[in-house]
Amino acid sequence: MSFEEQADEIEHTILDGKPFFSRPAGKIFIIWLVFTVIGLLLSFYLPHHILPTLMASTGTDVFRTVVVFSVLAAPVAAFVYAVAVYSLIAWRHKGNQDEPPEDGPPMRGNGPMTVLWLTVSSVLVVVLLVWGLAVWSSQQVSHPDTLQVNVTGQQWLWTFSYPGTGVESRTLMLPVNRPVEFNVTSVDVTHGFWPVSLGTQVDANPGEVTVIRTTPNMLGGFTVRCSQLCGLYHAFMYASGAVVTPTQFSTWLQSQGASATQASQTAQTTPTNS
Amino acid sequence: MTTDVAPRLLEDTPLGSKAGGFYQRQSFLTGLGFGVLLAFIGWLISHATLQGSNWGSDMVVTVTMACWVVGFNVGMGTFNAPIRWALGHDQSHEDELYAAGVGQGNKRYWKFCTDHKVVGTQYLVLVIVLFAVGGSLAMMIRTQLITPHSSFLDPNTYNAIVTIHGMCMIIATIIMVTGPFTNFIMPIMIGAKDMAFPRLNAMSFWIVVSAVPCLLATFFLGGVDAGWTTYAPLSVQAPAAMDTFALTIITFVVSVTVAGINTIVTIITMRAKGMTMGRLPIFTWGSMIGSALGLYAMPAFLLVMTMMITDRAVGTSFFVAAQGGSGWLYENIFWIMGHPEVYVILLPPVAAMLEVGSTFARKPVFGYKVVVASFVAVAALSIMVWAHHMFTTGWAPDLAGPFMLTTELISIPTGIIFLSVIGTLWKGSIWTRLPMYFVYLFLWNFIIGGVTGIYLSDVPADQFFHGDMFVTAHFHYTLLGGAMIAATAALCYWFPKVSGKMFNERIGKTAFWIIAIGIQITYVGMFWEGFQGMPRRVAYYDPIFLRSNQMATGGAYLLMIGWVVLLYAIIHSWRNGKPAPANPWHAKSLEWKVPTPVPLENFLVDPVVTSDPYTYGEQVPDGQNEPSTTPEPEPELVPAGSGEQSDTGGQV
Repeated sequence: MSFEEQADEIEHTILDGKPFFSRPAGKIFIIWLVFTVIGLLLSFYLPHHILPTLMASTGTDVFRTVVVFSVLAAPVAAFVYAVAVYSLIAWRHKGNQDEPPEDGPPMRGNGPMTVLWLTVSSVLVVVLLVWGLAVWSSQQVSHPDTLQVNVTGQQWLWTFSYPGTGVESRTLMLPVNRPVEFNVTSVDVTHGFWPVSLGTQVDANPGEVTVIRTTPNMLGGFTVRCSQLCGLYHAFMYASGAVVTPTQFSTWLQSQGASATQASQTAQTTPTNS
Repeated sequence: MTTDVAPRLLEDTPLGSKAGGFYQRQSFLTGLGFGVLLAFIGWLISHATLQGSNWGSDMVVTVTMACWVVGFNVGMGTFNAPIRWALGHDQSHEDELYAAGVGQGNKRYWKFCTDHKVVGTQYLVLVIVLFAVGGSLAMMIRTQLITPHSSFLDPNTYNAIVTIHGMCMIIATIIMVTGPFTNFIMPIMIGAKDMAFPRLNAMSFWIVVSAVPCLLATFFLGGVDAGWTTYAPLSVQAPAAMDTFALTIITFVVSVTVAGINTIVTIITMRAKGMTMGRLPIFTWGSMIGSALGLYAMPAFLLVMTMMITDRAVGTSFFVAAQGGSGWLYENIFWIMGHPEVYVILLPPVAAMLEVGSTFARKPVFGYKVVVASFVAVAALSIMVWAHHMFTTGWAPDLAGPFMLTTELISIPTGIIFLSVIGTLWKGSIWTRLPMYFVYLFLWNFIIGGVTGIYLSDVPADQFFHGDMFVTAHFHYTLLGGAMIAATAALCYWFPKVSGKMFNERIGKTAFWIIAIGIQITYVGMFWEGFQGMPRRVAYYDPIFLRSNQMATGGAYLLMIGWVVLLYAIIHSWRNGKPAPANPWHAKSLEWKVPTPVPLENFLVDPVVTSDPYTYGEQVPDGQNEPSTTPEPEPELVPAGSGEQSDTGGQV
């Protein structure tokens, strides 16, 4: 069949002749619609309920990406499933299963359909890529009032230190609504610094300092887990963390040994007499 | 001159008492014996000379296991042919017939046998054994994870089991279609009498067999606690088990390389007359492209494991930061192998599944040329995406964008596979026999696996999901739910040709439903674990993950039952099944045109091909000539160099 004939065949399949909804294309369309609606409902309902509470800008990025990608994937998955289901409803050989049925039509391919498929999948890829690059570059922006936190991983615990205060702690305290930059390293093997609810992570490598940035935007506690297998007690390598107000942060720094001046400078609060 | 009318099959040739030379005395038992003997000698010598040096036990283990590998293969007879050739006493035609299994009955399955059908069957048994071992390890993992702080396994044993479960399954999935079916079926499919290098074929099998004890030895040498990816520097510090692990890989890569070359050369040079590349069944393309990709990728694995051994045993510092090395070097080389490797795993089963789809929809493979192009595109792109496994390592953040691009691009040719399957189903006459069930299950599973891969390809999203159970669920959906299910379709499809029996469909369909449901419960449970934030490779977990783990473990037990029922179906059918006709599926490719059981040389007369095997619905006589059962008369003997042409009987 020439390209034009094949294009006509698609058109014929979709548009002319019998009423649309009594041809295969029409029936598949209905099944596809039902599956897409189910997929979309899941895309909007599920992420909120199965993701942990996300407490930072990077967490919001994760949530939005999951929803958008699910919404875009739903019609694609629905189409494949709809054709598969319909094939079993309408084209299944129902007679004697010991003998093969009559041959189907000798369709070796369909140029226009293939072009359409490639075009749609390419457009989807471009959309996904633009979305991902936009989110990624927004995460690379440096802010002037960024809080620096040094993270050191070792077998099998995390240590957090706050430059300029001399504070070293096993708990990760962060002030809310302030950009933070984690400088992460390891003293032995590779670990994965993963403050789960902040929605970001980076490996801790011996001999390197790696950096991630985020802005916590919700008060509350969170857990730092290790996401890179690091030996015997990898499963136990976690630390507690909390996002607190700047005042609480300053108070905490002082309780860990910082002077009042250091604490207020780092927490960006006005100095108080403690 | 003979007065026989009936053709004499090559396998009925009577052999002299000396035929085969040493092969007569060699088998799996002598392989085991020599392997243990040489390993012991290697251990004695290396222990005496090296133990007590700084890296002594690593060198001792490496030398011992290398001696095992060499000794086993010497005992099997793997090296007999090249050694004889080097000594100027090359194998005679009778020796080669012996090596092909003539006159030995079922004993040939325990020996070095060059018949590609024997090698294919041997691979099938090996694959089943590997899945049984890897699957048992998986059940131990899931049993540990029934409760948040189980006392079933200590953390070191757990980590060691996680590592070997992974590596065992990787080996099994790489060879699960190319081992049994590319070897058994592909040469017949292209009209050849055997592979291009039959001895290398048998060699590739026995070499991979010798790698398996190296892998299992890790449990007795302290266990490898670094996961199957064995990232440095953790693995550099691992006990001596890591050395035998590295040797397993090196041995395995040799086997895969040999097999890959054999596959490609066979397909290029041994096709029957008229079997142009454009008429090749799609399974042949998938085997060839998968093998070519493996030839590119697997040497990187061999390299990185060699560097691992030297870092551990002789003091190099490729991966040790304190001495100027870098863990990132390991990760890069590893994933340069590791990503193409998953397409080495995926392409042959998918190509086999397309054959099944075509046969059971009674239609040509939809978009054959585009599918071949997409296989090539997937293979080419797959060598450019590796750092998507390293998005959160902190290495080269500027490359996040480019690797995100290449990774998302791969979804375009992968999508073509879906187009081909649903295009083949479109208006077909769907014959819902057991192999077709697995094609539909593939569609369901691989959509989920593929889509979840897209989430991981997005760097900001990967910064949440990396290293957690979402990743594990994603690759199990693609590798088990996709590739392994497609391989199961291939098994059920070619079972009648390989075993000579029909597969019991009642038991098979029971297994199918248990497996299908087991997969969903297990891996949806695992996605749930991942969304909640549970890291992977942990022996204990926060109690907030309890429900999702219970779901995943429950599903795993159900899945295990499904696979056991399938195994029962395989064994039961092989022993007691109805004898299979030559072409039970009325399919059109050449393997279905030869009798079952297949004669030693496959074809009594070389076939001449006039079309591809997808002539369903076309008003032409069956495209691929039935090979004649009456051979052409023997040509007149003509003295060499006489200048006369002998009558070649119409064949060129």
